[in-house]
Amino acid sequence: MSYHDDDDLDRALAALPLEEPPAGLHARIMTATVHRPAPLVRGWEIWLVGTLLALAAWLTWTLVAAPHAVDRALVLFTGVLESAADGSGTTLVWLAIGVSSAWWLSQLSIPRTARRDVRVR
Amino acid sequence: MGAALAVEPPLAAPVVDDQALIAATLAGRPEAFGELVTRYERAVYNLAVRTLRDRTEAEDAAQEAFLKAYRALGSFRPGAKFSTWIFTICYRGCCDRLAKRKRLSGEELPDRADTAAGPELLAVRNDDAARLRAAIDALPEKYRAVITLYHLQGKQYEDIATVLNLPLGTVKTHLFRAKEQLRKVLSA
Repeated sequence: MSYHDDDDLDRALAALPLEEPPAGLHARIMTATVHRPAPLVRGWEIWLVGTLLALAAWLTWTLVAAPHAVDRALVLFTGVLESAADGSGTTLVWLAIGVSSAWWLSQLSIPRTARRDVRVR
Repeated sequence: MGAALAVEPPLAAPVVDDQALIAATLAGRPEAFGELVTRYERAVYNLAVRTLRDRTEAEDAAQEAFLKAYRALGSFRPGAKFSTWIFTICYRGCCDRLAKRKRLSGEELPDRADTAAGPELLAVRNDDAARLRAAIDALPEKYRAVITLYHLQGKQYEDIATVLNLPLGTVKTHLFRAKEQLRKVLSA
């Protein structure tokens, strides 16, 4: 075939058959895309857990490394226990009132019409 | 028995345009993306083969291009051509591979013709298509890319310019010179 002018070459290029891709290419692409199993953990979740772990490790290290850290923690713990024991009667009553109020509030159901009114308004 | 149970495809399936297939893929229908792959895998593979001149690497590049396209499908601009987009992704991936190859071995200088497929080799090949392919392979990389896209996309110079990230005038100049070199090699 002669390729002396532009049209000859254009015709030859247009007639040039495309090479067949390897037989498994379609399956490979589909496996890598739509059939790829979803990752168990997302990237940002790994970052979040990693950051929290690093923070926890840093806090633990700071507490442990501080002078007399164990003694201080013990003093704090006993202080909390003592203060709880001191105001036991009144504290327990208020605690009971608070818990029961929360429970009753959680059991309340707002009627459908009332809810719709609120939304419209 | 098993073959009889297989679901047969509809005889006259309606031709769905690329935009609809993209929308269907984004809506969670994987078979729509499969149809896009079927439509373009051959062209993408050929672009990669011509650019990289290595079939194994071209297969990886084609797969990578579709994977990148799939991940970025949500950002695909409505109204744009999927073919131009996937060719752009593929061509950039191939350029990265060529740059890496060049870094590692000093191979593939952008403006140098490939001596492996010179006139001696071309003379041996009697088949016209094979001769033309070999002549394209012998072109410098920038001419090879433009002639390959011209082959794949026809005379859509704007699309070729988009894929290659070149001005329209440069594309036309490259194409003119590529054809000139091809004619010279093929007439030798």
